[in-house]
Amino acid sequence: MIQGESRELRVPVTRADVVRYSGASTDFNEIHFLDRRARAIGLPGVVAHGMWTMGAALRAVTDWVGDPARILAYQVRFTKPVVVPDTDEGAEVVVVATVQDVVDEVATVGLAVTCDGDAVLGAARVRVHVGEEPR
Amino acid sequence: MPITTAHAGRTFPASAPYEVSRAKIAEFARALGDDNPAYFGLDPVAPPTFAAIIAAQAWDALFDDEELGLALNRTIHADQQFDFVRPLRAGDVVVATLSIERVRTRGAMDMVTVEVDLAVDGATVCTARSTLIHTREEAA
Repeated sequence: MIQGESRELRVPVTRADVVRYSGASTDFNEIHFLDRRARAIGLPGVVAHGMWTMGAALRAVTDWVGDPARILAYQVRFTKPVVVPDTDEGAEVVVVATVQDVVDEVATVGLAVTCDGDAVLGAARVRVHVGEEPR
Repeated sequence: MPITTAHAGRTFPASAPYEVSRAKIAEFARALGDDNPAYFGLDPVAPPTFAAIIAAQAWDALFDDEELGLALNRTIHADQQFDFVRPLRAGDVVVATLSIERVRTRGAMDMVTVEVDLAVDGATVCTARSTLIHTREEAA
């Protein structure tokens, strides 16, 4: 990884994916599978889990470095939910990962994560061990 | 009685141990649409954000504490940070300890920063810090 280098990842997400993440994560908040629960709190409909978005976006970095054990730290703000319409296509999350700096074999990678042009994660940053020896 | 800044520093009893399994790691990786070979096979590591499963279970202590008056269905997850000493692996028996790091109040909103220490054999493997924004009932 070199400062300024970047990679893009596009992740599709359908309602079936959201249901699958509910089970895998054990987060059964009903706003992730019932439109009426989502609407009751002012959302247009079912939304993906913030933690799904955080986890799926990280693949832009783990695919890049290969070994997920190289991830030292990861932080995000949840700025806007990913609304997942009840269609075959669902929604698409676009991740652009850009290396901000590399110091002492640790790269800091910023993630710009959007859906329909809106930022869904803010201040998303990953610290990655990039030394030759795996951690 | 609602949560106040005086609750910062409170640490809750450690959670029941959570054993990380190969099957759960594979299930979680598939749910992220991630086919990285590190997450499959006989000796997998867990995807980094797997730690959130265990951390979020530890949050139950917060919502079960009647003194704090916090309700899960009036709470949103505002930010999340993980610091990893090493990845979680299949076979790890993880003990989670929740503490309240900081409380800020704005009107009917409480911003609660919690830290969950995830430890295996008494040594921290991951720290998960989250800000939860809770809206008190009288305002809802």
